[in-house]
Order: sequence, then C-alpha cells, then structure tokens
Amino acid sequence: MSEAAPRRWGFLPLLRWGAFGGRWRAQPLVASGLAVFLVLVAFAWLGPHLYTISPYAIHPHRLFRPPSARYPFGTDDLGRSFLARMMYGGQPSLGVAIVGSVVAMLIGLGYGMASGLSPPWVDKVLMRLLDALLALPTLVLMIFFAAIVPLGPLSLIVLLGLVSWPGLARIVRNEVLAYKERDYVLAARQYGARTAYLARKHLLRAMFPIVVVNATFTVADLILTLAGLSFLGLGIQPPTPSWGGLLGNGSNLAITGSWWLILFPGLAILLAILSLNLVGQGLLNRLEGR
Amino acid sequence: MWAMIVRRLSVSAISLALLVTLVFFMIHATPGGPAYSILGSHASPQAVAALNRQMGLDRPLPEQYLIWWAHLLEGRLGYSYIQHVEVSHLIGVYLERTLILDLAALGLAIAVAIGVGLLQGYLAERIGGRIIGFFQIVFYAMPVFFTGILLIYAFSMQLDWLPPGGVGHTLAGHARHLVLPVLTLALPIAAGFSRYFGHQAREEYRQDYVRTARARGLCEWRIATHHVLRNAVRPFITLVGMMIPVLFVGGVLTESVFNYPGLGWLLWRSALDQDYPTVSAITLIIGVLTILGNLIADLLNSMLDVRVRYE
Repeated sequence: MSEAAPRRWGFLPLLRWGAFGGRWRAQPLVASGLAVFLVLVAFAWLGPHLYTISPYAIHPHRLFRPPSARYPFGTDDLGRSFLARMMYGGQPSLGVAIVGSVVAMLIGLGYGMASGLSPPWVDKVLMRLLDALLALPTLVLMIFFAAIVPLGPLSLIVLLGLVSWPGLARIVRNEVLAYKERDYVLAARQYGARTAYLARKHLLRAMFPIVVVNATFTVADLILTLAGLSFLGLGIQPPTPSWGGLLGNGSNLAITGSWWLILFPGLAILLAILSLNLVGQGLLNRLEGR
Repeated sequence: MWAMIVRRLSVSAISLALLVTLVFFMIHATPGGPAYSILGSHASPQAVAALNRQMGLDRPLPEQYLIWWAHLLEGRLGYSYIQHVEVSHLIGVYLERTLILDLAALGLAIAVAIGVGLLQGYLAERIGGRIIGFFQIVFYAMPVFFTGILLIYAFSMQLDWLPPGGVGHTLAGHARHLVLPVLTLALPIAAGFSRYFGHQAREEYRQDYVRTARARGLCEWRIATHHVLRNAVRPFITLVGMMIPVLFVGGVLTESVFNYPGLGWLLWRSALDQDYPTVSAITLIIGVLTILGNLIADLLNSMLDVRVRYE
C-alpha cells in the first residue's frame, strides 16, 4: 500500500516548475509577477500582525488626515487608519478570488473533460450551452445575483466559482480533443483502459499546465470582478473593508480632495491584477514555446 | 458561402434560445421565488401567495416557461415594481446612450490601437517598442473604475475642465460629458487591441515584401499604410467580437462611475433597489447583444477573408 499511495498523486510533481520546462531565473515575467503578488498577500495577512491599529477604531477628531508617520496611508472619513483598512481589506479581496477560482477550476476541468470525452452529439450540446453561458459576462451575472440575494463572503466565493468556469471548460475540452488522439492514449485504449482511467491517468496530467495558466488568469479576473462589485456597493459590505469598497468610498469622497483614499486601493487592485497577468503570460509563453 | 451563413445563424439561434432558458431558470432559482425579492423577506405568506397568483407564479413551471417565451416574443420584458413601468419602456432610451458610449469608445480604441500597433511593429525590439509594450500591459490591467475616478479627480475636481458625470442637454454638452467616459472605457480596450495588433504588425515587418519595398526606395509611411496595415488588420474583426464582453463589463462600471444614465447604470441602480425584473431584462439584453455581436464579427470576417470557411 505504501507504494500505491504516491502513484495515485502522480501528477503532483507537475506542480513543480519543471512542468513548464524552465528555471526561475529564465522567467523574469513570472518571477517578478509572483514576487509582487506575494508581497500583496503578505501585506494583507502578515501586515495586521506588524501594524496593530484597528481598522474599525473611529477617531472623530482625526478625519481626512493625509499620509503621515503615524498613519502612513492617512485616515478616512471616520478617522480610521487607512493603512489598517487596506491590510484587512486585502483579505477578502484576494482570498475570495483565490478560493473562488479554485471552485471554478474544478467545475471547468470536470465539465471540459466530460464534454471532450463524451460522444460528439453530447459534446455539441454541452458546447452550445457554454456559448450561452459565455454570452453573460461574469460581472453582469454577479450583479444579477446580488440584486436577488444579499451576498456574504461565502456566497460570493460560491457564486464567483459558479459563474467563471466556462472559459476554462472550453480550453480543457479542446485540449482533451487534441490529446485523445495521441499515440500513448490510443495505445492505452488498445490495452483496454476505460475512459475514466484514461481521464484520471493520462488526460488529467496533460491538462495540468494549461489549467494552472488559466487559473492564474481566472484569479486576476475574479479580483477585478469582486473589486468592481464591491465598488458598486454590491459585493463585500461595509464596515468590512475590501479594496473595491474602499475605492468606491474614496471616489464618493473625491470632492474632499483626499487623494490617498483613491490612490492606495486603486493601486492595490491594479498591482494584484497586473502581477497575476504577468505570471500567466510568462507561463503561457513558456508553454507555447515548448 | 450561404451554407456557412445559414449554419452560423442557426448556431446563434440555438445559443439565444439557451440563453433565454438560462435566464428563466436563474430567476426561478431564487430562494423563496421572485415574490420574496419584490416584497422583501419579511413579507407575510398571504401577500406572497397573492402576488404569486397575480403574476402567474403559482402555475406549473413548464407553463410559466412557455408564458415567458410568449411575452418575450411580444417584446414584453417584465414589469418593474419599483419604477411602476413596463421594463421595455425603460430600455429604449438607456440602450441608445449605452450604444453611443460603447461605439465611441470602440472606435477610439481601434484608431489608437492601429496607430500604436504600427509604431510598435516598426520599432520592434528597440527601446521605444519596449516602453509601448510596458504601458500596454499596465493599461490592460487598469480597472476602469480606477481610471475613471483618477480622470474625474484630475480633470473635473482639480482642473475643472470637464464635467464629472451625467449627460448634457445640447449636442456640445453631450460631447463634453462623453469625453471622460469614452477615454476611460477606451483605455483598456486600446491596450488589449494594440498589443495584439502590434504583435501582428511586427510579424509583417519581418516579411520579405517589406524588405523589397524598402529596397525599392518606398518611404516608411507608405510601407506602413499600404503594405503592413493591409495585411495585419485582418484578424481585427475577430478580436472586436472577442472584446464585446469586456466592452459591456467596462461599460457597466464606467457608466456607474460617471453617473452616465445608460443600460449599465440602470442595471446598477436597479440592482441596488433590488428591482429584479429590470435586472433580469438587462442581463438578458446584454447576453443577446453579445451573441449578436459575435455573429456579426464572424460573418464580416468570413466575407472579407475567403479562407475562413468554418471547419
């Protein structure tokens, strides 16, 4: 049994950089993108341990203070430390998007593999359904759901996952169709391998790099969608801070000239999306150059 | 050719039918049903039952589905209980404003992308080309609500040159109110387009015919406009089709930032008011427009390029 266990998770070594056939040093895009994103993650989750001022503590005599040594990001309309609010705001902004994209990845992978391995007419029906789903942009769908039910962090994760998988499903399905005809898969079939075995043993492995690339872009997409939703007042609800919500609040207060309430949350969202796009693009270049 | 067009039309028709079905089920998947969304979650069971009867929601689901289709084919999109009008009466004027904004932004983005792309293709790996490439990546990742608020802060609040939002009443007023929203919406699209187009132009600049043209002593301007542009511009239409969802999402956010009363703004306000008939109608319209946009892009593409013959 001790020998069987590692083989079951045989695709795990592909998590290593080797799946993309390169060294970190040879990938400045990926390395720098990843570094920036990790800094943002550290800012959100480690930051509050270093800078311990509460993001909810209201100080009526310190409203709209510009950045200073005590309040590096200034204070907001209720005198709360904006740095603390930015740190705590990073947690739902990044966390919900990351977990949501894992949900999307699992659904998309399952749907794409099922479609690619089904008889052609089932595949066709499933693909038409995808077309219909893809016609509705993620943000529009999320606004639709937000209008009907109030959304908390958990329902945001589930819904973001549920609405953002079709793109990945199509890519996976196309890959499955391509790999299905490879010699090694045909050979395995000749030896009597069942479809489920093929899917698990051969195709899942082959899908791994492209799924990782796509998941990176999906996280960036969901960060943008969630920020947009919170900006509109339909996502994470105040007083819980989120980058999108903070930016929305800052833009309502733009008339007061408090540029720091706009600049910092906007830059955080931009950097998160930018860094993940760089990682995804770098990995994609690597895959296509292979 | 005609067989291809018929095929493509039928594919879009199927997608449309599936979309309509999908939105129907999304509405009916609401916990407690639509009546709770209208009356609020504290409504008494009697009130909910009465409203359900009035709206025909107590009938079996297949029957409601057929009624939903019948209403759509009559052009009835539902009744807004918040604004007390037929949703289809609301849509017209808002849709027009959205199309003006979106098409203006799309036109600007294409014009900028062609110029920047040609320059980038010409510069290739030189420092100028790299700088352009850097800004393309940054601007592509720039959320429109961030761009929009920065522009408002700079050009409306600090410099007081342009209005921060709303619509004008004269033609000149309309134009003034459109400047910032159009710039905001066009920026990420122009970045995306020009990145793709610049790549395409660079490939063309490497071709033998460009070297031949240079050897013949043609000036760079003529090479760019008469040779490279013609060959590199072809995939553009497909790209426009792919960018339609980006345009709509960007449009919703841009309209909200600038309080520009288009379809996206109406979607936002209706969502805040929990006016679900309006929200579902607009969701449906955006889906339909996306499918139609892709259809038009595909058809144009196949007419311009005889090599595209679909599988």
